[in-house]
Amino acid sequence: MTLSDLNPGSRALIHDIGSVDDLLRRRLIDLGVMEGTEIVVRRSLPFGGPLTLEAGGQWIGLRRRDAACIQVTPA
Amino acid sequence: MRSVALLGNPNTGKTSLFNVITGSYAYVGNWAGVTVEKKVGLLKNKQAHVIDLPGVYSVNPLSADETVVTRFLLNEPFAAILNIVDASQLERNLYLTVQLLEFGKPLIVALNMIDVARGRGVEVDPGALARGLGVRVLPIVARTGKGCDAVARELSEGRLPESAPLRLDYGPELEAAAEEIAGRAGSVDGLPARWLALQYMEGNAMVEKLLERRIEPDWLKARREAAAARIAQASGAKSLQQYIRQVRGEWIARLAAEATRRTGADHSLLTDRIDAVVTNKYLGMPIFLLTMFLMFKLTFDWVGTPLSDALDGFINGTLAGWIESLLDLLKVSPFIRDLILQGIIGGVGGVLVFVPQIFMLFLLISFIEDSGYMARVAMVMDRIMESIGLNGKAFIPMIIGFGCNVPGIMAARTVEQPKERLLTILLTPLMSCSARLSVYSLFAGTFFRGSQSVVVFSLYVLGIAVALLMAKVFSGTLFRNERSLFFVELPPYRVPQWRTLALSTWEKGKGFIRKAGTFIFGGSVVIWLLGYAGPKGLNVPMDESFLAMIGGLLAPLLQPLGFGSWQAGAALITGFLAKEVVVSTMNIIYAAPDLQTLHIALGQQFDALQAYAFMAFILLYVPCLATVAVISKETGSKKWTWFSVLYCLAVAYIIGLAIYQGGRALLG
Repeated sequence: MTLSDLNPGSRALIHDIGSVDDLLRRRLIDLGVMEGTEIVVRRSLPFGGPLTLEAGGQWIGLRRRDAACIQVTPA
Repeated sequence: MRSVALLGNPNTGKTSLFNVITGSYAYVGNWAGVTVEKKVGLLKNKQAHVIDLPGVYSVNPLSADETVVTRFLLNEPFAAILNIVDASQLERNLYLTVQLLEFGKPLIVALNMIDVARGRGVEVDPGALARGLGVRVLPIVARTGKGCDAVARELSEGRLPESAPLRLDYGPELEAAAEEIAGRAGSVDGLPARWLALQYMEGNAMVEKLLERRIEPDWLKARREAAAARIAQASGAKSLQQYIRQVRGEWIARLAAEATRRTGADHSLLTDRIDAVVTNKYLGMPIFLLTMFLMFKLTFDWVGTPLSDALDGFINGTLAGWIESLLDLLKVSPFIRDLILQGIIGGVGGVLVFVPQIFMLFLLISFIEDSGYMARVAMVMDRIMESIGLNGKAFIPMIIGFGCNVPGIMAARTVEQPKERLLTILLTPLMSCSARLSVYSLFAGTFFRGSQSVVVFSLYVLGIAVALLMAKVFSGTLFRNERSLFFVELPPYRVPQWRTLALSTWEKGKGFIRKAGTFIFGGSVVIWLLGYAGPKGLNVPMDESFLAMIGGLLAPLLQPLGFGSWQAGAALITGFLAKEVVVSTMNIIYAAPDLQTLHIALGQQFDALQAYAFMAFILLYVPCLATVAVISKETGSKKWTWFSVLYCLAVAYIIGLAIYQGGRALLG
């Protein structure tokens, strides 16, 4: 299951970010978003727009396409 | 004198702290990436220089502004580090702290945003943090200045304890490789060898380049790859970078657990509630457009224009009257008298009357930046930006470009992808800056009285629309094979403080006033002289002056756009200096003693359609001199600089032609 499959309000544990674009993965890791991090989908914008995510009290915006590269297990 | 480097994560209040302890004022905002260059200030007690650097998450650089920090650490001498840490994001912030402690320079932690952490239900204990890190930790509130004096005292001469570099245990495989590399690196330019080795293993490209100048690249790579293979086997880590991250992360997690205490409920609900509205599925875009529209209403109809009219009355009425009587009293020659009254007062005064509108616009932009809404704009705009090959963050430089294109182009450094950054730089000059606003105010005030804000708003929209269209064209042709990326941090909202807003507005607006005293002053004198002199001598009729001859060269080219007069040609040439000079030129050419007379003179030269085509042309035609200079500096390429000038000119001509010829066909 990937992060983009989750509905707003649901929580999940990240278990693989290996297929995320290199540049983006580095940025996510910088913010402490990596394997083992708990992440919550807060909101999504229409027409396939970006998702608002929360991890460890930090709010970030990410595209749905990139979120689809993050493998998660629902918590 | 010793210098202290101010380092920390983005948007943690570094610049606020810098401003308080040095008593200077630099640009702050509530979005990640406000500071893109290093700034140097002197501590208030004159004991040390403080260097404000862009925010980074790690010493290992990712975007252009982050290389500034790594380059600084590698190349510049400094005595100590002041590391600002955001208590509400403790673990993420400490990651940088660990890398800095490994560097081994004396270090002080300024612990900021304890109040924000408390709001989230987390209490941070500075004492426990200090024991764990082995350095001084001083709690501060950078926005209000609380605790900052203690930081300044601590930085003063003779009080900084030398400390040994922090040594985490990275496990036998990595330690062995690090020791081997550190051994051969010795002391490269006095940099700590173990730190260099660890950064190399982590994949820091700048350190890699540095080491490869001393040590054979193949030898280095072999060490790194062997360590990576052994570690992958032993721990299952996918990469060295991930493994190093993990070791540091575990150490930090233990420390953070000791130094923090959960106290109660999470109160970050306010930000959540605001976001529920402003990034709402359906409301997000309408709210953004409404915000922009209100910005223009306030600037033009409600506040800015009435103030500008009052200032015009003062400068061109009262002040001009005083100067005239003074000149009469001094019995100066008619030449000097005309130069001062028509050239300088007309040219400089004609631009200064727009100061209230420009400051109003800067105040509103500052408000948006400081509140935290800017990052949400990037979210809301991303879908549209993606469809033209850019990302939502590229919209931030464009909004800043509404104030002035120069800082807008510099803000493009926060766009991570090199291609998207270049594209953002090329498009930002199409954003209608405050200098162009003075031209619109003049023309819209003449031809569209009563519907000024709508007409001006339409020009801003035209600029955005052309930018989006060009982005689509460029990303489909010049930069075809590159992928667009989007990532943005959404900081908690905060109510901007009046002090910050006032300073921030002044900081942006003072450039405009300085320009009035330099470029516009000089330009006005030259333009007046060119209009005063002609092939037949001095004090010739304006139509026979050098200015008319120069402007006349362009006139035939501009004829199809509806403004083929020498006056328009002259104004466009001089407008390259700075776009406000167009207004100065008009004032001088029509020898208008005040705005009223100028409106009448312009009304005889242009009709409404021609005026609109002229405004659209001014919006698009060439970036001003200062903008061209910053494009050249930021792209580092003559080719792209020329490209930006020429494509703007071509687009302006086509759009101007379409407006005038299309409008004529429509209106019959």
